[in-house]
Amino acid sequence: MEIIDQALAAGRRALSEYDAKRLLADYGIAVTREQLAADRSAAVEAARQIGFPVVVKGSGAELMHKTESGVVFVNIADEQGVAEAFDAISSKLGAGFEAVLVQEMVSGKRELVLGLHREPQFGPCVMLGIGGVLTEVINDTAFRIAPFGEAEARDMAAELRAKKVFDAFRGEAAADMDQLAKNLCALGRIGLEQENIAEIDINPLIITPEGRLKAVDALVVLKESSHD
Amino acid sequence: MTDRIEDSPLYRIANPRSIAIFGASNKFTAMGTGILSSIKQMGYDGAIYPVHPREETVQGHKAYSSVLDLPEAPDLAIIVLPTPVVPEVMEACGQKGIGHAIVVSGGFREVGDGGAALEKQLNEAAARHNMRFLGPNCIGAVNTHFKLNATFLPCEHPPGFIGMASQSGSFITQMFDYLGRYNLGFSSGFSVGNEASIDIVDCLEYLAKCPDTRVIALYIESIRRGRDFIDAARRIAPQKPIVAYYVGGTEAGGRAGLSHTGALAGADRVYDGVFRQSGVIRAHSIEEMFDICWCLGTTALPRGNRVVIQTHSGGPGAVAADACARNGLELPSIEAQTREKLAEYIPSTGSMNNPVDLTFTKRNLDYFVDIPDVLLQDNNTDALMVYMMMPRRMVLMVAETMSVSMEEAKTIAAQFISDQSRQLADAMRNAKKPWIGYSYYSSESDFIRKLYEAGAPVLPGPNRAARALGALHEYVQLCEKIST
Repeated sequence: MEIIDQALAAGRRALSEYDAKRLLADYGIAVTREQLAADRSAAVEAARQIGFPVVVKGSGAELMHKTESGVVFVNIADEQGVAEAFDAISSKLGAGFEAVLVQEMVSGKRELVLGLHREPQFGPCVMLGIGGVLTEVINDTAFRIAPFGEAEARDMAAELRAKKVFDAFRGEAAADMDQLAKNLCALGRIGLEQENIAEIDINPLIITPEGRLKAVDALVVLKESSHD
Repeated sequence: MTDRIEDSPLYRIANPRSIAIFGASNKFTAMGTGILSSIKQMGYDGAIYPVHPREETVQGHKAYSSVLDLPEAPDLAIIVLPTPVVPEVMEACGQKGIGHAIVVSGGFREVGDGGAALEKQLNEAAARHNMRFLGPNCIGAVNTHFKLNATFLPCEHPPGFIGMASQSGSFITQMFDYLGRYNLGFSSGFSVGNEASIDIVDCLEYLAKCPDTRVIALYIESIRRGRDFIDAARRIAPQKPIVAYYVGGTEAGGRAGLSHTGALAGADRVYDGVFRQSGVIRAHSIEEMFDICWCLGTTALPRGNRVVIQTHSGGPGAVAADACARNGLELPSIEAQTREKLAEYIPSTGSMNNPVDLTFTKRNLDYFVDIPDVLLQDNNTDALMVYMMMPRRMVLMVAETMSVSMEEAKTIAAQFISDQSRQLADAMRNAKKPWIGYSYYSSESDFIRKLYEAGAPVLPGPNRAARALGALHEYVQLCEKIST
């Protein structure tokens, strides 16, 4: 896959968020509408096209935990806010600055985490869990070895302690379980087909008020041995 | 995958027509001696050929100084010798034409590089002669239906229906006494050791085809052929249930990853997923694993998760209700027509809510046969849990009122308990819905012991009974999922 080959050729450990989402979208996983912008006016123009409110994040392959690095600004309502976010990110990252990612602001009270890693004795292993910043504290997850079918994917959801998160919740619709099952199977396919991918995190994958699923942030880690 | 059980590499290990044993002597402290003694004690009736460099006879059997001198090529070689000589003995067995072996000796891969080199030699010797073997570093195999106990501890339980494979060395032998207490037992059991030739997946395939095995139990530390395990188990589970106990091996922890997924993927949770995906019921203790096997092997499967509890005392009923709730089981209310039918049996002090609490019944048969029958016919009942007790003293008191001598009263009481337990066990076995007993009494009670002997599942306490019933329901759901 071209995105992966280019990143490997450049000696990168991971894909940028933008590239990671293009890869996921290729496999049928819904991702946020977003554009890369290398300068302030491009960022403002991107926000205008996407429509407010927007999120502005630092973008770069070596930026793996953006929230912790202080380069994520959410719920920006206007052009001035976009310009300010751009300036804050570029000064924070200094010489390491590459671009910002301007993306639609997805609202939804429920956040999931989907993931992929490799088990030495089993092969590609897909994860579903309760997502968001508390993911590791809550630690409510289910795993399956790829390949698996949609019945198995639905059973992952049933295995979570917090499985009621998929039901209608505080005025928001029940989650689209077909879409969730398809997304989980798609991650398994990525694991089987893309040997140079070591790990994937989609966190959060937000359940929208309409019950649709959308990947809001994604990390694709490449294989260690492939960029020696 | 082999279609016929005879094609399994384990077939001649579990059903050998003749055995060569290396390492057995007349010295009673030697491990090989213990294994030969176990083989004889269970009454194995095939030929036994001890191979020993000096002895002329070993435990009454003519000994041979070399395997090459044996009058035939036996089906199985059991090797309990010092590690360095094992590869050459394997080679000699191969030359003789022996196709299968159990290598009990340790000191191979499990001890490091030197041992790993010896294990490689062992594999090469076996491969040269197309031999398959169990181990090394294992305690052997048992097939109670073939009167074969090739382990170092005596197995006194009756031939059973639980087929087991274990990655823990002596675990199977430790369970002989435990299972015997409930009149349960292994059909066949295998200790797989280092899995150099035959692994847990081969055992699964064999036990799936074994006609004496109704349910498969696995003790797992680490599955090496992961995908093969999942594929085999998914194929087998809908026909024959599989229950696994997993205890984290060395792979747990220490996952260096850049993602949250890597950090969250503890081996224990991954195995939860693997088992569920494989259609395997996961038990969280050894007792639980065998409780589940017991019920799967002796009762019908439930259509749903609604349990009716029957007791004659509030406490055991309330505890059972609580235990059911914590094991994913529901307590439905019973139908109006069931209440009508029950009215003639239940005194005014009793309760027809669920738990159905009789407080007192005039006749034992009402409690153990008629009332359960009515409750099982209820459309809201998917499974029945009945508290069971019948203290001998109580029966004796009744017998004494019949103005007979003390001796006669004892005989009458014993006969009564025996008849009642047999009738009850028959009713439980023939019920179209799962019907399991639970009790705080043990096999010290004549009644409970007789029930065990008649093959009735009477679990120690309501928590264990509820968990086992929950697992039966889980099994049905796993099968439904796999077949979609």
